[in-house]
Amino acid sequence: MTASNETSSTPDLDRYSRQMRFFGIREAGQKKLSNARVLLCGVGALGTVLANTLARAGVGFIRLVDRDFVELSNLQRQVLFDEDDVRSNTPKAEAAAAKLRQINSQVTYEPIVAHIDRSNIEAMAADVDLIADGSDNFEIRYLINDVAVKQGKPWVHGGCIGSHGQTFTIVPGKTPCLRCVFEAAPGPGEAATCDSAGVLSPIISIIANFQATEALKLLSGAEDAINRELLYVDCWENTTRRVKIAPLLGKVDCPCCKHHRFEWLEGSMGVQTTSLCGRNAVQVVPAGKPNLDLPRLAESLSSYGKPQLTKFLLKVEIDGCQFTIFPDARAIIQGTNDEERALALYARYVGH
Amino acid sequence: MAITVHIPPPLRPYAEGTDKIAITPADAGTVGQALKVLVTKHPGLNDRMYTNGQLRPFVNVYLNNEDVRFLDGEFEAPIKDGDDVAIIPAVGGG
Repeated sequence: MTASNETSSTPDLDRYSRQMRFFGIREAGQKKLSNARVLLCGVGALGTVLANTLARAGVGFIRLVDRDFVELSNLQRQVLFDEDDVRSNTPKAEAAAAKLRQINSQVTYEPIVAHIDRSNIEAMAADVDLIADGSDNFEIRYLINDVAVKQGKPWVHGGCIGSHGQTFTIVPGKTPCLRCVFEAAPGPGEAATCDSAGVLSPIISIIANFQATEALKLLSGAEDAINRELLYVDCWENTTRRVKIAPLLGKVDCPCCKHHRFEWLEGSMGVQTTSLCGRNAVQVVPAGKPNLDLPRLAESLSSYGKPQLTKFLLKVEIDGCQFTIFPDARAIIQGTNDEERALALYARYVGH
Repeated sequence: MAITVHIPPPLRPYAEGTDKIAITPADAGTVGQALKVLVTKHPGLNDRMYTNGQLRPFVNVYLNNEDVRFLDGEFEAPIKDGDDVAIIPAVGGG
């Protein structure tokens, strides 16, 4: 994958004068930022804040990847979008790139409207220096972790829900990886999503800007300054917590960073989809046949439709699609042939 | 002073909305015993935190911000007055 056009070799640095006065960056660090390349996975809430900060800071190249289109309910927290983007049904990656070009034209942006999966993430990451986590689901985060460890690239994780969030920085070989800290992703329905539990805009900005700061440290040559703890913030309850994860390095029998088994990239973990020919439906099957608590899921989806719960399945209509969900977490989503859309709907409402 | 066990927001619906409980060393002498006191008090947490008797792999427990999996004795690690036990699950949204 190559950039659509090359980054200017000698960008005007005057606009970064305040940043270059900062002792941690100076001119040398700014020049490194100008030559740095970032893959941003997800251009939604975390992703737009990350992109905004990285672009203004003068990171030379940003590849923006997101499959979604801008919706009205995004505007509360997705800072690069506006009502025109909603009206014109613009893809998030394109809408973000258009706004960012007005903010800093020195940066090269490569918007990609695509669903990130194990077939494309390695190519997307191959020519960048760092991966920034702007995603909203575990599937992509564990994929990022696999590809980052495999390619030996740093990545900055962030996640938010309600009024709290957490972030930590992964430098393969030097810090524990995501799987060292959280051995596995929650199964379908085991964790709340922003669509089920809601999310406040300020916690997104807080966590994403911690992530962006970590990216700036790594890309400007200040790796020694990175955060080596798991930072937890709740902006409604006024609490912060710094969890010591650095001691985990080398102690965890980690499938990913110790044994180099990349189970999400290989497809033995995660979720698979199959379009059901002629039925305008897609079947979504998580690996491992997890047990799903259907009554609990029915309760969490009750604000979206009228879930019909039987001993064998849960049916509910959301976003114009009929979900039929089984106790082994398999789902048939009727009303679309688009496997990526079905996967996104599954991630959003069932969760994985 | 007591031992405080913090319940994260996503688990509070299964603990009648409670954000933390205070226990005394007489109630629990180890991290594992403190968690047992918690799930006895709020049984709805049991399924959300454990599967087949093991802590779910996306739920971590920290004693004074250190991962219990790597403390001496793991869940048998002793606790004392003033200690802070936090349950922190992975966060999916964003």
